[in-house]
Amino acid sequence: MSEESPNKPDPAPTAGRRSFLLGAAWGGGIAGLGGLTGLAASRLARRTPAAASRKPVLGDEFTYDVARFQKSDPALLRYDELARFGSGLERARALAVAPDAAIFVGGTGGIRKFSANGEPALSIPLDKPVYSIALRPNGEILVGQLGQISVLDPSGAELAVWSGLPDNLLPTSIAFAGEQVFIADAGNRVVLKLDAAGKKLGVIGARDPERNLKGFVVPSPYFCVRMAPDGLLRIANPGEHQIEAFTLDGDLELAWGKGSFAVEGFCGCCNPVSFDIFPDGSFVTCEKGLPRVKLYNSAGEFTGLVAGPDAFPEYLQAANAGTTDVLGSGVYAAIDRQARVIILDSVSGVIRIMQRKQQSP
Amino acid sequence: MSDEPSNASGESRGTAGDGERRRPAGSVWHPAEHASIDEAPEPRAAPPAAQFSRQSLSRRELLKSGARGVSLLGFGAAAGFLSGRENKADMRWQIDPNQCIQCGRCATECVLEVSAVKCVHSFGMCGYCKLCTGYFEPEPINLDEGAENQLCPTGAIKREYIEDPYYEYSINRELCVGCGKCVKGCNMFGNGSLYLQVCHDRCINCNICSIATACPAQAFHRVPVAKPYLLRGKGAPGK
Repeated sequence: MSEESPNKPDPAPTAGRRSFLLGAAWGGGIAGLGGLTGLAASRLARRTPAAASRKPVLGDEFTYDVARFQKSDPALLRYDELARFGSGLERARALAVAPDAAIFVGGTGGIRKFSANGEPALSIPLDKPVYSIALRPNGEILVGQLGQISVLDPSGAELAVWSGLPDNLLPTSIAFAGEQVFIADAGNRVVLKLDAAGKKLGVIGARDPERNLKGFVVPSPYFCVRMAPDGLLRIANPGEHQIEAFTLDGDLELAWGKGSFAVEGFCGCCNPVSFDIFPDGSFVTCEKGLPRVKLYNSAGEFTGLVAGPDAFPEYLQAANAGTTDVLGSGVYAAIDRQARVIILDSVSGVIRIMQRKQQSP
Repeated sequence: MSDEPSNASGESRGTAGDGERRRPAGSVWHPAEHASIDEAPEPRAAPPAAQFSRQSLSRRELLKSGARGVSLLGFGAAAGFLSGRENKADMRWQIDPNQCIQCGRCATECVLEVSAVKCVHSFGMCGYCKLCTGYFEPEPINLDEGAENQLCPTGAIKREYIEDPYYEYSINRELCVGCGKCVKGCNMFGNGSLYLQVCHDRCINCNICSIATACPAQAFHRVPVAKPYLLRGKGAPGK
């Protein structure tokens, strides 16, 4: 083996420092490799289904399927999408349009103001999540938050916080009738009637058999009030799938609407979640679950779609994946002075500006 | 071990000036050219790592090293495997309802004949709706308890009239298979008061939960045995 002494036996294998270090290095490396292998085996074992194919796959009867309702008939569409832009807010769930067509959106984080074409104009950071916004003719902003109503000046500076309001106040919508302010309180399932300074004048819609009032059914925090051109308040009763007309003193005058997954009705357990009223008294309504923005005439007859479920792909994706939550799954609409419909989709936080089709009936 | 392959790089592996011969570039490398440090009469400073000489290796040394390596490998593997396990006695499997996507695997992947996962109901969150989307088919013929109107394939939800227009819904756990169909209906349209939980009176607390391994949303977690449920509503953590 060796050139110098080919027959010389191998020396005794005494361990020197170098061989010891080499051995230790090898041993450490092998042990580390072994450890990694063991850890990987542990993880793999955890990921390996122990009972794979032990049971049959569930049949169709175990699948919740509303796909057939998630497509809209193009013949029913009366509006085209003019523009869309992001609100930049998490859980955006309040929408209002100013007389000058500026768009206000509220949610977790505060309020954002956009121009009529969607250009950012103002950001008002607020600590408490915003549930509703209303704009006074003088530019003041009324903001509904859990337990309070705040009054802000047009720049966003706080002017007042109204106190003396009921416990559990959850103001999901605000409307005006002259100087009077009406607050849809989803927490107490009534509409509060306040004066211009926020002093409570009365309650509308509380359960009262003598006045034939069964009370509003508000299973989730979606409860809308608007003032109609006929001088009556319109209040959504989502659990009854109706829009009800009340006098300013709280007498129920009429109601329309029915529960149905068909396009003419209001789907799910609690819809419509919001609505607005055109100057001619007709309605635009919004539904959650199946995100639909629809048109009804002043008598409550369905006349067409502003946007069907398939216009909200992000919403449908989240709903079908089961990742929507009750606080962030609303759809809201507001009408601007050009009769455009502004839509806010809470799931994506996207605002859409919809314009009526030229040839629309 | 006798004939080693040639040094392709052609660089010298020896260190000049410390008793080793400098090998000409391009010559064949041979172990005998390099004196083992075991044979050196005096200890020498270890050369830089990049300049280690290859050592001759006897059969006995090879076997010893191999045995040492195998035992270390085994020890490392055992340590690694054990480090990946958790203490079974202190923890239980549970579903985070905020992560659950109601995929249906809870009904099919459990090692039990009927799954340990059941629907539970947070009455504090429930709207007591007349038209409950967790109870009724999406477009029911009538809003009554007829089987044709019910969503649950096993009839595991009981509907009781409370007062106009409110109804109470409760789960018959004996009939519930944990498919999550009602949960999906409630979550999509309602406020999510129906949700799935691992029921610990049934769960046998497998080390490796077969549902957890199959859960596409990674909604299964180990939770302390003192708080074995992840509740919604007033029972939820922090409420």
